Amino acid sequence: MLARRLRSTFPALSRRWQTTASTTAIESPSAGGYPSSVASSQLFRMTRESALRTPGISWQDEESDRNIVGGRETRKMNLYQAVRDALSIALAKDDSAVIFGEDVAFGGVFRCTMGLAEEFGRERVFNTPLTEQGIAGFGIGLASMGHTAIAEIQFADYILPAFDQLVNEAAKFRYRSGGHFSIGGLTVRTPTMAVGHGGLYHSQSPEGFFMGASGLKVVIPRSPIQCKGLLLSAIRDSDPVIFMEPKVLYRSAVEQVPIDDFALPLSRAEILIPGSDLTLLTWGTPVYHCESALRLLNSPPPSLAPLIPPSLRSAKVELIDLRTILPWDIETVVESVRRTKRLVIVHEAGMTGGVGGEIAAEVGKRAFLRLEAPVRRITGWE
Amino acid sequence: MLTWACSNGRTLSTLPASTCLPTIHSPAVSKPAFFNSVTGDGSKIPNDRVLDVLNTPIEGAKVPEINEQFARRSYENMQLLQATLDDILCRGQRQGRIPFYYGEEATVIDSAADDNLYRETGVLLWRGFTLDGIMAQVFRNHEDSGKGRQIAVYPLTLSWHYGSKQHHPHTISSPLATQIPQATGRDALKMWPACFFRGRGSIRDFHAGMLLASTVPSLILFLARDNGFAISTPNSQQFYSDGISVRGPDGNDVLAAMNAVKEARRWCLDGGRAVLVEMMTYMSRERQEVEDRKKNDEPITRFCLFKSRGCWNETDEEEFASRLRRDVIKAFKRAGSVKKPDLGDMFTDKEQREELVALLKKYGQVWEPWQNELGTLKGEGILWVDDRQHTTT
Repeated sequence: MLARRLRSTFPALSRRWQTTASTTAIESPSAGGYPSSVASSQLFRMTRESALRTPGISWQDEESDRNIVGGRETRKMNLYQAVRDALSIALAKDDSAVIFGEDVAFGGVFRCTMGLAEEFGRERVFNTPLTEQGIAGFGIGLASMGHTAIAEIQFADYILPAFDQLVNEAAKFRYRSGGHFSIGGLTVRTPTMAVGHGGLYHSQSPEGFFMGASGLKVVIPRSPIQCKGLLLSAIRDSDPVIFMEPKVLYRSAVEQVPIDDFALPLSRAEILIPGSDLTLLTWGTPVYHCESALRLLNSPPPSLAPLIPPSLRSAKVELIDLRTILPWDIETVVESVRRTKRLVIVHEAGMTGGVGGEIAAEVGKRAFLRLEAPVRRITGWE
Repeated sequence: MLTWACSNGRTLSTLPASTCLPTIHSPAVSKPAFFNSVTGDGSKIPNDRVLDVLNTPIEGAKVPEINEQFARRSYENMQLLQATLDDILCRGQRQGRIPFYYGEEATVIDSAADDNLYRETGVLLWRGFTLDGIMAQVFRNHEDSGKGRQIAVYPLTLSWHYGSKQHHPHTISSPLATQIPQATGRDALKMWPACFFRGRGSIRDFHAGMLLASTVPSLILFLARDNGFAISTPNSQQFYSDGISVRGPDGNDVLAAMNAVKEARRWCLDGGRAVLVEMMTYMSRERQEVEDRKKNDEPITRFCLFKSRGCWNETDEEEFASRLRRDVIKAFKRAGSVKKPDLGDMFTDKEQREELVALLKKYGQVWEPWQNELGTLKGEGILWVDDRQHTTT
């Protein structure tokens, strides 16, 4: 296990704000505007108090009493600013950390690496040639020597050229060496999911393709706080992690995010809205569509009211964000389904071969006698 | 200067295996030595030019024969593409009217002028693709024969209203360089140029394509256009040299590019092997880089100055430029109000269609966001399943 030298965080903190300060102005939406379900969501933590009390948060300071919340600060950030904040903490605290990918040096096509090359140097934040296969392979090599390699694949749609490296090499690295070698230091970040105008090759959700690659982890955050905490956990995790960031949320998802170093647990789902009648399981952008749907169900507008029987309007649906897709939190999901007896899985990727099928089969096996209806999947069209 | 993928003129590896036993033909030496496999003496492949900086033909340069009509048509297309279309669509994207666009330069026109070519808007313009057709793709309305499926800026379709089928450009995909090996396969039987930006030479598919092209061999003409960058990454971070063939014809010199492609085509057909041409040029960007290059090196200006010793004067120029602008803006405005593709174009799977029909029947008439969306589609939500027409109205 590589020993990581920790620097005092205070000078690093003040330098961090130099790079983020200029871009905390309100961002205007792109052509097409923000998705309405995100804009009207109640799930974002917009106050300092609620942000600091995010469930599962674990402060990573050197101070002795880690659980103190009072005195900690938060700052308004959108998703790409939260990514950048997490990356700058990683670079500041871990001397072996480097960030690389296509066009990351100038700040990245989604601004996730803005200012990092200026702050930490071009030897630590650098561009690679246009080759995803090369990027993945290079990252694996770096990580195998104990370094922290944070690679960026410009769009999740382009992770497929790197598939061989990730599935045949990264996933199997530790196993094939009998535990002698590992590449836990590898994290591959990539923007994923639809944004409205992306067409076939800038909108895909390829998480399903990796389900068979035991040895890899796949994580998908839904909000800035989740993104920062999960990304820091992913970077420090002892397994290689693919971190997929829903690109439509980069500017539209805004929260008060704690500025300190904190982690959120991997492989733990989060129950966002407790319920008793049905479990609604999802991740990424669809979390907000589900939230809107539940609101419409509970208090439908006049145009929809005739279509929704009053008896259903009082249904209490439990909304769960899976967060880590591989390995997924079987316990939380099955426990919830045992209580509610119904499960609906929502994901943007197509139905065939999607993650929903895997979850449905597993839940069917473990909670078959409790289920009162077949597991239903609502997915993108194919 | 042309380089060519190694080949010995055989077709489709039909020779028996015994003739393919590996043998060494190089002389044996006692001391290892490095060598430059391209030029032998370590010099760079020169950058071919026909017109110098002042746009007079360079001494000894072979000026291609172009009649006035051809020259005029070339110039008009270049002006349309670069000065007008690129400019207006780039602004449109910045203003949020269209979601996506990137510009292209005149190199493509002059190559297309000489020969059939693979993607790029310039080729389509040369082949007679209309402004309405381009705008349809950019706005992704129902007139786009790609059915609005691709991200804007890929104006590639499979249906032509005129011209022979063999001239079809193939629909392109975003993952870079993936279609280079595909082009190699397509052209194993007949010649057809492929075209790609420099940055894509980094991807493994490029190397795979070169391998196939040289061994099969494939009658393919690769035209690599080098603009010095791949999005924000300069060539210096992409590879350690000057380019694939370490320079080639000056892509900003229309005549040099024409010469090069003509020669390359002849070599390809005569020699029965693949050829690679690399052209140095630039992409439309709104940055200082373009301004700097524009001052010295702009292809339209150079060509225009060259031809101005005869056919073109300033009044013609102004009139022409403003007519082009009017045409493009008119097409842009019109395309913005044309309806989006028919709902049935989204997918053909029967079960999914039935599911969609059920949803539309239930909510399509009462839920306002869906009503608005359906209103923008051609056919307004009519969907065919099993020869039965379903409608929400």
